[in-house]
Amino acid sequence: MAQLNATAGMPAPAAQEAAIEVAQLSHVYAGAQGAVPALQDISIRVDAGRFVVIVGPSGCGKTSLLMMLAGLRAQSEGSILCLGRSIHDPDPKRVGVIFQEASLYPWLTALDNIEFPLSLRGAPREERRARALSMLRLVGLDGFGERYPHELSGGMKQRVSIARGLVQDPPVLLMDEPFAALDEQTRMTMGHELLRIWSMTSKTVVFITHSLTEAVYLADEVLVMSARPGRIIDRIEVTLPRPRTFEMMATDVFGQMRDRIWQQIRKSA
Amino acid sequence: MSRRLPAPGNVRWGMLVALLLAWELVPKTGLLPELFLPALSSTLKVMVQDWRIYSAAMLVTLYEIVLSMVIACGGGIAAGALVGGLARLRDLLLPVFSSLYAVPLVILYPVFTAWFGVGPESKIAFAGIYAFFPVMLSTAAGIRTIDPQFLLAARSMGATLTQQITRVIIPASLPTVFAGLRLGGALAIIGVVVSEMLTAAAGIGYLVTLNRTILDSPRVFAALLLILILSVAYYMMARSIERRMVVWQSAGRSPKAARQDGGAGVPVSAAA
Repeated sequence: MAQLNATAGMPAPAAQEAAIEVAQLSHVYAGAQGAVPALQDISIRVDAGRFVVIVGPSGCGKTSLLMMLAGLRAQSEGSILCLGRSIHDPDPKRVGVIFQEASLYPWLTALDNIEFPLSLRGAPREERRARALSMLRLVGLDGFGERYPHELSGGMKQRVSIARGLVQDPPVLLMDEPFAALDEQTRMTMGHELLRIWSMTSKTVVFITHSLTEAVYLADEVLVMSARPGRIIDRIEVTLPRPRTFEMMATDVFGQMRDRIWQQIRKSA
Repeated sequence: MSRRLPAPGNVRWGMLVALLLAWELVPKTGLLPELFLPALSSTLKVMVQDWRIYSAAMLVTLYEIVLSMVIACGGGIAAGALVGGLARLRDLLLPVFSSLYAVPLVILYPVFTAWFGVGPESKIAFAGIYAFFPVMLSTAAGIRTIDPQFLLAARSMGATLTQQITRVIIPASLPTVFAGLRLGGALAIIGVVVSEMLTAAAGIGYLVTLNRTILDSPRVFAALLLILILSVAYYMMARSIERRMVVWQSAGRSPKAARQDGGAGVPVSAAA
């Protein structure tokens, strides 16, 4: 199950296959006072199976970057390769996107929400149901399939979102501050849950967050972005072993890494 | 048992029974002359006596109401979807429509009779337009308030434009559309009855005016009672359909609109 992390936080071997390769990406958008540079010269390589977290000050363009990785928004310059092919339009077979809880459809039950991407491409009903049910089990929500989102807690809704992102079994998962709306305790539990699910599915994850603790706790590698125009100003290899435990948060190593990210963000702002 | 508060449903029925009793007893005991308030029993008596007249009038009125609802709801939803969905059209037209909404459209009714005659056509046209604006405005508002994350998520899951409309935009705007239909239907009833009372040769509103001029109070009240029953029946029907269609609405819609990545991350909004 957790074999992909048997090397426990060692830097990935250079020969490993790249899931995402971003080369010299820049983005400029038309603002009220003329062109505004949003992203500048971003080059990233994410190896297959890694958990990469992007942190940065508000408004640095990290959500824009994620939208571009998902093919939901076009960049001005530069290229994005996902699993060796460039990405222009959303491709749910390659990339699953997990948003904040608000993106669940309130008119659908939890199961129907999870089935939604399958029904879009006309998968047979039995197959849809079977896969949705197994996803529901994976995220620990057995028996809650017939509930509507408003009948679920924030953490449960986010589990449904994760199940929906996983149901098409895309090799790459992009997560845009998925736990931002949750309270601190739920957030930590959900982070732990996410790692459990990730270790069972061997996905490549790009995860955006504001929380430095969350970043260090989850990541193999943390990318720090500067304030606008967003650039990658630091790359931190998180050497904590897997599986991660809450006790690790109290260690010196954890604190030093969090401090380093904080210093970088402060310098850039 | 006896100390417990009665259920609200029972209280409402009790109030209705009390009202009907008062309607019967107040004129019978001479508190009010029958010319001002004919007793319930005399009202029901003429209604039964003249049932052919009343049912014929009711059919005319229903026909007018149904057609004006089709105009108001069909046209209102279509126009609201267009105006709400297309930013340019919205900026151009919404202020105009919103201000038109404040105009008492009944002032136009004489024009409508000149154009369409005193038959059902003028009622249908008037009530249709009278109810059109609220339906259109609430549909437009409903489509505008759809959480952009809903559409973003659908696109990320590979939804085509048609699927985005049928699978996301339509269900997401159902609550506001239903509210508009409920209001639009009620206004169509008002529009038809008012225009029948003003100038007409048939319909339930016409019976009100006709009998009022000859001071036949029981027949006026019989017509009023039928209009009342019609409106309440419509409201209850609309409500029950709405409840069945929009199970998730009771809990309210998610107030957490897309909290995006500050300002820089959202070039789309600058273009919109």
